[in-house]
Amino acid sequence: MSFLTGPGREHLNGHKEETLHNEIVRVKPKKEVFVPLNNGSATKVDVYVNEGDKVLVGTLLARRNDHFNVPIYSPVSGVVGAKKNMMHSVLKPQEHLIIEDDGKYEKVESFKPLDYTVASREELVNFMMEAGIVGCGGAGFPSYLKYKNPVDINTLIINAVECEPYITSDYRFTKESLEDLLVGVRALLKMSTAPKAIIAIKKSKKEMCEQLEAVLKGDPSISVFKTPDVYPMGWERTLVYEFAKKRYNRLPSEVGIIVNNVTTAIAFARALQYGEGIVEKVVTFSGDGLKSPTNVRVPFGTKVSEIVAQIGGYASEDVLVIAGGPMMGKTIPTDEFVITNYSNAITILKNVKVEEMACMRCGRCNDTCPAGLLPVRINNAEKAKDLDLIVKLSADQCIECGLCTYVCPSKIDVTEGVRRAKRALALRKG
Amino acid sequence: MKFNFRVSPNYRTPLSTQRVMWEVTAAISVVLAFAVFYYFTELGTDYGIHAVLMILTSLAVAIGTEVLWALFYKKNILKHLNTSFPWVIALIFVGTMSINRPLYVSAVSVFAGVFFGKLVFGGFGYNIFNPAGVGRAVAALSFSGFVTNKFADVVTGATANQVMQGLGWVITKPEAVDAFLNQFGGLSGLAIGFYPASLGETSTILLLLVGIYLSVRKIIDWKVPLTFIGSIFIFTYAIALFKGMGVWYPLFHIVSGGAMYAAVFMITDPVTTPTSSIGRILFAMGVAIFVVIIRIKANLPEGVVYGILFMNMLSPLLDQITDGWVFKEMKKFYIQIGTLFVAGLAVILLVASQISYNEPVVEVEPVVVINLKGEPVVVLAEAVSPTALVVSETAEGDVTTFVVNINGYAFQSDHDDDPQPNTLEIKVNTATQTVESVSYVTFSDSPNIGDKTNSDVFLSQFVGLSIVDEAASVDVVSGATITSQSVVRAVRAAIAAALD
Repeated sequence: MSFLTGPGREHLNGHKEETLHNEIVRVKPKKEVFVPLNNGSATKVDVYVNEGDKVLVGTLLARRNDHFNVPIYSPVSGVVGAKKNMMHSVLKPQEHLIIEDDGKYEKVESFKPLDYTVASREELVNFMMEAGIVGCGGAGFPSYLKYKNPVDINTLIINAVECEPYITSDYRFTKESLEDLLVGVRALLKMSTAPKAIIAIKKSKKEMCEQLEAVLKGDPSISVFKTPDVYPMGWERTLVYEFAKKRYNRLPSEVGIIVNNVTTAIAFARALQYGEGIVEKVVTFSGDGLKSPTNVRVPFGTKVSEIVAQIGGYASEDVLVIAGGPMMGKTIPTDEFVITNYSNAITILKNVKVEEMACMRCGRCNDTCPAGLLPVRINNAEKAKDLDLIVKLSADQCIECGLCTYVCPSKIDVTEGVRRAKRALALRKG
Repeated sequence: MKFNFRVSPNYRTPLSTQRVMWEVTAAISVVLAFAVFYYFTELGTDYGIHAVLMILTSLAVAIGTEVLWALFYKKNILKHLNTSFPWVIALIFVGTMSINRPLYVSAVSVFAGVFFGKLVFGGFGYNIFNPAGVGRAVAALSFSGFVTNKFADVVTGATANQVMQGLGWVITKPEAVDAFLNQFGGLSGLAIGFYPASLGETSTILLLLVGIYLSVRKIIDWKVPLTFIGSIFIFTYAIALFKGMGVWYPLFHIVSGGAMYAAVFMITDPVTTPTSSIGRILFAMGVAIFVVIIRIKANLPEGVVYGILFMNMLSPLLDQITDGWVFKEMKKFYIQIGTLFVAGLAVILLVASQISYNEPVVEVEPVVVINLKGEPVVVLAEAVSPTALVVSETAEGDVTTFVVNINGYAFQSDHDDDPQPNTLEIKVNTATQTVESVSYVTFSDSPNIGDKTNSDVFLSQFVGLSIVDEAASVDVVSGATITSQSVVRAVRAAIAAALD
């Protein structure tokens, strides 16, 4: 297969050592947090509190009001302030709700916990929906949908691959929450009806592999699946292909597999046991633009600028601030934006000039595209404004993993060309 | 504090186009260094120096052309060279040239390759044809037969492919196979590559190692050379089975000629080959089909360069037919590869049905009759008529000593196109009417080739020969036929003088 198609993946220098072995540092907001009143691209949100209200950690602040149910809980205790429009990590200004932090972190139970060992499958699915558990892999897809009608599911894959360079937040968070992880995986396994679960992790993370194997001893239904250290191993399609050697059209359930992120499993476990939603995040702050790369645990809504100041500041006067990892994260031209309840990393890199030169048609982008696309052909079609060809080349299948730009020896922004092609397709459809 | 914006991803491989080209440069340099080493050590300083001059001339012309281009378009010269890589073309081109070519052939051809093959299309990344291939084609078409007389002895030794062409690209007699391969030291001799041919093409083993290195470094796509060499093997093995030949036949196709050189350095040129994996596989197989057909049936002993240039033209088409979402198109790709393979095999076997073994004419050369009567000496190449001149004659009793100057064929020790003759001392006993001895006084012929005649085995054959016996004859030295014959002419001149 790969003889005809190319490998469809690439080993990257992960730069993970910079933060991999260090404990998570707790960072607090200075005075106030800014709770984004959006959920991904959705901006229709019902707000349940008013200016001047007193809230506790876990108080329901708002809820996305379209067909997805995603609640937003208060990350701090304090007083609700005004609304403010400010830059968001989606690279667009969004409405944020200001909450003055009283520094006490008094908690309230957001919902009633549930014992997964006695609850029925349907009760668990309902609980997951009510608790608003969304996929923590980045897309924010409501997780309960995957478990609603499982048919012929043979494996539950818990995705702990974390293939994006620099990011170690999942790794550190999982390491500190192994008990919660097991609870989460067992609950998800019950919901999935699958006979077995695997925890997929890069084989280069030996310490974690051994640790997991030790705690899983005696449980034949859960095992560790070691993957090669390549990018984008953590993408659902690449991971499913690596495990089952099968490709699917839309959802992995077509080949009998459900995939959930490792932090989703932990978040679900915490909801089941303590009745809490996501109010704080473990976020990797890394990159050569920082003096001391660190994993921080912060209430979401904390400003990036405040966190950077507290962990040692910038190492350069001329930087790129990236919300996420360097491959898929968006560059934000300011540090005045906040950690969201699905952030996992802020990467800060020195701004190095890149000299682009003529494409030499080497086809490395085609060979490494994990989606089986031909990025250089899509770029050429986009330049020629040949929409029919863009359709034929299935540009809409691109997930913008960035590998085509990464591998390009001529330093061309290949991914950006594919994005333009995708926009052209979307405009025509609309 | 400055916060910048750049589109993602903001992470890049350390591999750059510049580094790709420098690694190719290093690889081709190793191959050419082997060639220079071979010519210096096996054929002498003059050959070695000529090889170095060919390389330097090509480099100078290629870089000079691009510098003028940059000046004409008012570009920064260094920046232009750093994104244009003319030296890669020069080195790959010169690797396809044989040692007996004059420097101006290299100069004109490499200019054509760089200028018409690349710059006029818009420079690096936009050219349709492999520039080194264009240069090679110009050298082969416009300058066929343009060779320096200095190195003519080398050209008298035909390359393995030329000998094979003479035999009709098929040898069915087992003993003829051995005789044929043994001329070149067997398949292993061809693979090791200690023989004069195109500078870079001789050592299959070295090229294989360099190819593996470049593949491991991910500078070239290993699938392309593998498909190319694999296809040649399969296609020619089919011919071998069809014609009743052994596995030596496909192996000969791989180790002889420019197949391996092209596999590593020419069909892996990214610019002129398709961009998709499948496209490149189809490309490599297409070149293999052309190579086999041109070799076995066309007018040329080697088809690699024309195969590449033909397939270069098809690159855009191959890109077009392999467009699509790769995961969805696998079936189409299997059909495309299968169709090309079956069609290629069918055409090749059809062509192969038209070839037959040309039994070589029995060689008359090994024996040369030395008597004056009749027309004793085998006729030499038309262009050459060495003349023997008796410069002194001293009688001492019955023995007369003749000193004879003979200008052989391939005098090369003199650089000023003023070749010095070989001088021989020939003693003839007039009483017994026999030759007493033949020996060299001065030897000016090509080293390593002509001086094979300066041996007891050869010269002692003359001792005791009757100067009136019409059937008296000697065996020539294999590989130095022409110098041997010139010695015979010298002896004949002495005999003529003795009989006077």
